Amino acid sequence: MQLVLSWPVRVFIVLVLAFSLFVDGAGYVYRIANHYPLTGNVPGLPPNFGGWQLYIHRGLDLAGGTHIDYRLINFPPGQSRADVQKRTIDVINKRVNALGVSEPEIRGAGTNYDRITVDLAGVTADQAQKTIGAVSKLVYTKWVKDDKVTNGPQAGFRPAFTGLTGDDIQSATATIDQNGVGWVVNVSFTSRGGGLFADLTRANVAACPGAGGNCAERHLAIWLDLTQKDIDNWADPNYVSKVSRPYDSACLAAQTPDTICGKFLTDPVTLTEITGGQAVISGGFTQQSAQDLATGINSGSLPVDLQVLDVIQVGSTLGAESVKLSIAAGLLGLSIVVIFMILYYRVPGLLASIALLFYAAVILALFKVIPVTVTLAGITGFILSVGMAVDANVLIFERFKEEVRAGRTIAAAVDAAVRRAWPAIRDSNTATFVTCVILGFIGPAQVKGFALTLGLGVAISLISSIIVTHNLLAIVMTGSAFRRPALMGVDRVRNV
Amino acid sequence: MSDIAQGQQSADVTPEAIPAATPQREPRVRKLNIIGRRNLFFFISLIVIIPGIISMATQGFLLGIDFAGGTEFTVAFANHPSVTQVEQAVLTETVHGQNIDGSVIQTDRGVFIIRAKPMLPAEQKIVTDDLAQKLGTTIDVRQVLEVGPTIAGEAIQFALLAVVLASVAILFLLAIRFHNLPGGWRAGFQFGGSALAALLHDVFLLTGIFSIMGKVMHWRIGEIDSFFVVAVLTVVGFSVHDTIVVFDRIRENLRVSQRLSFEQVVNLSIMQTAARSIITSFTVVLVLVAILIAGGSTQKGLALALLIGIVSGTYSSIFNAAPLLVVWRRFQPLR
Repeated sequence: MQLVLSWPVRVFIVLVLAFSLFVDGAGYVYRIANHYPLTGNVPGLPPNFGGWQLYIHRGLDLAGGTHIDYRLINFPPGQSRADVQKRTIDVINKRVNALGVSEPEIRGAGTNYDRITVDLAGVTADQAQKTIGAVSKLVYTKWVKDDKVTNGPQAGFRPAFTGLTGDDIQSATATIDQNGVGWVVNVSFTSRGGGLFADLTRANVAACPGAGGNCAERHLAIWLDLTQKDIDNWADPNYVSKVSRPYDSACLAAQTPDTICGKFLTDPVTLTEITGGQAVISGGFTQQSAQDLATGINSGSLPVDLQVLDVIQVGSTLGAESVKLSIAAGLLGLSIVVIFMILYYRVPGLLASIALLFYAAVILALFKVIPVTVTLAGITGFILSVGMAVDANVLIFERFKEEVRAGRTIAAAVDAAVRRAWPAIRDSNTATFVTCVILGFIGPAQVKGFALTLGLGVAISLISSIIVTHNLLAIVMTGSAFRRPALMGVDRVRNV
Repeated sequence: MSDIAQGQQSADVTPEAIPAATPQREPRVRKLNIIGRRNLFFFISLIVIIPGIISMATQGFLLGIDFAGGTEFTVAFANHPSVTQVEQAVLTETVHGQNIDGSVIQTDRGVFIIRAKPMLPAEQKIVTDDLAQKLGTTIDVRQVLEVGPTIAGEAIQFALLAVVLASVAILFLLAIRFHNLPGGWRAGFQFGGSALAALLHDVFLLTGIFSIMGKVMHWRIGEIDSFFVVAVLTVVGFSVHDTIVVFDRIRENLRVSQRLSFEQVVNLSIMQTAARSIITSFTVVLVLVAILIAGGSTQKGLALALLIGIVSGTYSSIFNAAPLLVVWRRFQPLR
């Protein structure tokens, strides 16, 4: 007890409070320091103090945006799963950057490195999914004679993989073609890709000598996302006619096992062997489609396939509404508790309310500093913890009343009350804390947010009730004016 | 904090320093005989819990989207169509030639919740665009939740695992805290077990009432989702909170009042702590009522669950946990 009531502790508490208020009001501090008006939009927000941005990080349910959980399937054999997951995250990161989302969050999860969670603020699920999932894997095929094939780009031939894919491409750029009319994509291969491409084109040129450009073997087709399953179905005219339609990104984004989307890009004839490791893809592109393709190729192909597990899309109006409602509920809850505590416990109640405001200030500052991503569930946890924060105070005050009734002096009663209430406060808060830890470890994301805010709340409320309230009580109770029983909320007080 | 513990012990061994604990100064203690009427309180609990258990066993729960799986749209139409109009549009809605199996609930003027089978984002967009076109208006997609069967299964696993883990953790936490009483670990597990029983009382009462609200009354607020699990676990923590305060007082009084019987000590401890338990719960109830009045619709279900659970938790810690401890002592005397 000596320690809790010592001056170093008091100074520390005041410093914590001052720091918290600075962090809480960081936006206003910034505005005043730069002579900006206190309301409205000003440049340079959120405030940045020495590289430290201080603001409330709003979760998707408050800011609006999209959350998608993916499962990674078809891992390439013989590679470390952790590594594959990391590469996949890198690729998704590159693709998402094209959307210009602020603070995209792409995290790996899953016990077997088979999950990736993506949080994108201000993006619809459709946009997000198109950007992340539907970007194309470029595939080069040659044509192999097959009499069962009746239609497609080359009737009588089925495509065969050449081993040359988007992975062999160093970079791709969209440019206007030589004639200055259409758009093309310039591709430069890696050294392996360049070698493969040279081999393929040499074989192309050597095929069917004398037939001019008219034999299928001289063509090298380019597809996006063509799979072995597609090739296996090549004898089915209905299937082929669908796959051979121009590449359809919208269809692929919404692909289910039953849909057949167009995957065809172009099927140019090879005129000469190409050895420089450079090639041009032309296929009647618009500027937009050429740039999209170039971006898609550049951001690399995913080493695995992504399966969508769940999607949460929150519109920005709903988020803003939730923020308003939550602030209203929080303020209402806080004021009700303060009014009740003051009416019921008088001066001690007032002191507990001051401690409660200290608690609120510190929690808010911690949210900004850590930073805690604040979600709707998190706010509910915080509001709830306001109610629970007074619990330790109630325990102390009830004990205080008992001690006063039992005939102790005020000072002795304060000391005894805090001391005797402590084991119960410690044990009961440990129980809540244990629950928070369990939720934090095994819960899904939004439950984790709740557990974190409630757990923080429990920890800080302990400090605020044990240290702050006790100190305030000890300071105020030494003034004789406060010793009147009515102010203490007790029937009678023994005079010292 | 070691000085606090020592201080407490030294204070405890001098009986005249604890006049608060002597019966003469607490006249109310003898008036309310909670332990004597314990069967009445057990009976009251059973009356509330049994219908809930029957409902859970026969009706099950109204599952929220994260347990049931599927797609849930929250949309607002600018021209405020009627439910029937929206239902008509949803019933005929297809994606890639397959019906979406949709159902419609109206939550506000022009605002609807549409549930359908799981679909991918691009398909979701097709649906919302279609609906806007059919109803001849613009659509504001406020929220889309799409939960596949994997996540739904995991959510249910999480719910069960969380409750079991929390219960076990709390049983051992209490056993450890109370094993230094006469009777050792057996006493510890008597305390822990009684607290656990009170806690399960709250869990069953809360889930039972939600089963009745969701399946018997068909209220949407009775829906069970991840937030409900959060509520249950918070209630577990809170209920144990209250129970520990009573038990802690029993521990303290057992040391001080050697002359009283175990029943008397327990009854005295309940009376000494009841005010605190009720006041604490009351402040939390006030806050929850604030959320129920002012909060958003997602928070309301959570707030209601917490409200029911915390009232139940306070009741069970006063009227069930400590009386159960007395019953247990009768069957397994330790002194």
